[in-house]
Amino acid sequence: MDTAVLQDSAIRTFYEALGEGRLEGRRCRKCGKITFPPTNCCEHCGSFDVEWTTLSGKGTLLFATHNITPACHPRFEPIAPYVYGHIRLDEGVIVQAIVRGIEATPEALEAVYDKGPIPVKAAVMEMPDLPVLVFEPVG
Amino acid sequence: MANKLKERVVIAGVGCTRFGDLLETPELRGLSLQELAANAAREALEDAGLTSADVDAVFVGNAMVHSSQLPATYSQLSKWLGGQFKAGVHFEAQCSTTNVGAAMAAMAIASGAYDTVLVVGVETTRTKVKGMSPWERESISHQTTWMWTDMAVNQAYQVPQGYDIFSTYNGLVALGYCRKYGVSIEDFDRGMFELCRTRCLHGSLTPKANSQETLEAKAARHGFTDPYAFWKSQHNPFVAWPSRLMSLVTTADGASAMVLTRPDLVRQGTKPVEFKGFGISYRDLPWYDEDPTDWEFDRRSVAAAVEMSGVDVADIGYLHTHDCSHISSLCTAEMIGYIEPGKALDYAREGRLRFDGDRPMSTHGGRHAFGHAWAASAGSDTYEAVQQMRGTAGARQIAKPPVAAMIHTHGYAMIGTTIVLAAA
Ligand SMILES: [Zn+2]
Repeated sequence: MDTAVLQDSAIRTFYEALGEGRLEGRRCRKCGKITFPPTNCCEHCGSFDVEWTTLSGKGTLLFATHNITPACHPRFEPIAPYVYGHIRLDEGVIVQAIVRGIEATPEALEAVYDKGPIPVKAAVMEMPDLPVLVFEPVG
Repeated sequence: MANKLKERVVIAGVGCTRFGDLLETPELRGLSLQELAANAAREALEDAGLTSADVDAVFVGNAMVHSSQLPATYSQLSKWLGGQFKAGVHFEAQCSTTNVGAAMAAMAIASGAYDTVLVVGVETTRTKVKGMSPWERESISHQTTWMWTDMAVNQAYQVPQGYDIFSTYNGLVALGYCRKYGVSIEDFDRGMFELCRTRCLHGSLTPKANSQETLEAKAARHGFTDPYAFWKSQHNPFVAWPSRLMSLVTTADGASAMVLTRPDLVRQGTKPVEFKGFGISYRDLPWYDEDPTDWEFDRRSVAAAVEMSGVDVADIGYLHTHDCSHISSLCTAEMIGYIEPGKALDYAREGRLRFDGDRPMSTHGGRHAFGHAWAASAGSDTYEAVQQMRGTAGARQIAKPPVAAMIHTHGYAMIGTTIVLAAA
């Protein structure tokens, strides 16, 4: 059974690349738009003619809040409460993800809110069983 | 698409159990899931003056099969409702389930395929099957409820990477709202308090609500004379700053049902309301683009329902918008045009969203006070709208029964569903 050829899987490819520090998405050969995180189809026009594209990981944190404790998902119980952000990548894609480098307190989050949008950069948080995409303020 | 019902369809009867906990709520304690669902269905059938012999099809919804362990619910319920040999389907549209079921029933009836359809929603989000017992149940932990519920959310990427409903649905939307309209965080907090106070008041006037305690009574129970001091206390922590615990959904076990049929088949002495139209539109995460208050799938579902129904939004006298997240429910009401954009918190403070206000909303208490039994909840919202339109909502009755009502729900995650009802 284990001699069967491993079929391509966008999900596996995404996490394997993330583990190596790369952010992989799909670009549509028909409409040119990006589907991120990746599927095998363009989420904008429905074309299945898509190719891999590496994203810069640069973006802007638009809003930041925190999650509930205990975390909804057992994987994140050890790090809750954590900051969760609404982010626009430079490629124009909207992403929501864990944000490191900001305290999950009302005071710290209010300071971020008052400051307005801030530049962030993608990083990888290695959980015991999965690499997770997170963002960190730049500078 | 044509986006119209070719024939008229009515809701002939509605049913709803009390929402609560099968282990402790008086009207529910000790009931099996079969009995819970059958109680709602029986009420709907009797309300329509029918029995299951009059039904052509049964559409049964249940979202969280981990706690119910009751797939193929149509056949498993059939002997509890006294009818077999019908067309049956088990389906889910998460928290929009029962109203999507009503839409499917309306399509079936308007097409001529069926004359009469029974829609049932049943859900247990507080209790689950204990061991392998046919009747015993046990509590579900908060984390387990959300892990199972979040199976309806992007399992490839978002959930495995730290998605949290309260951040996405509450905190970020709240911040987007405050930024967009220049609302201070303090004013936001006060507005959310007032909305919760209204919803708790509605729950206190609704015998089937999970929580029937006013916010003032709850504060007093905890030793607070000032309910706003209670609101800001450790009893109501931030779950996703600046959103607090009491601006959220409360889990519940419950069931709801409705009977839809052709107007000419309505039994004498019953009080049907017309099912004028529906709109359904879904989107995977992220649910919004740059602006957390602007949800395109909701705009599409509302626009489709308004167009199909031919009802003017200005004529809608009762509105429920999905309020798992109180701030999201206000954004939806503003988008619909029931509330002026940016004014929802003012409306809440001025009491305008109360049953006795000029813009009544969610008079059963909504997802916080009435409670949330995922697949059964949309049916409870429709149940309330029908009571208000009939003038049978008791202590919380809107003075002038509305001639048109709109019910909007979010099926996790996310299927925006809007239905429009009008006096038959
Ligand atoms: Zn495309």
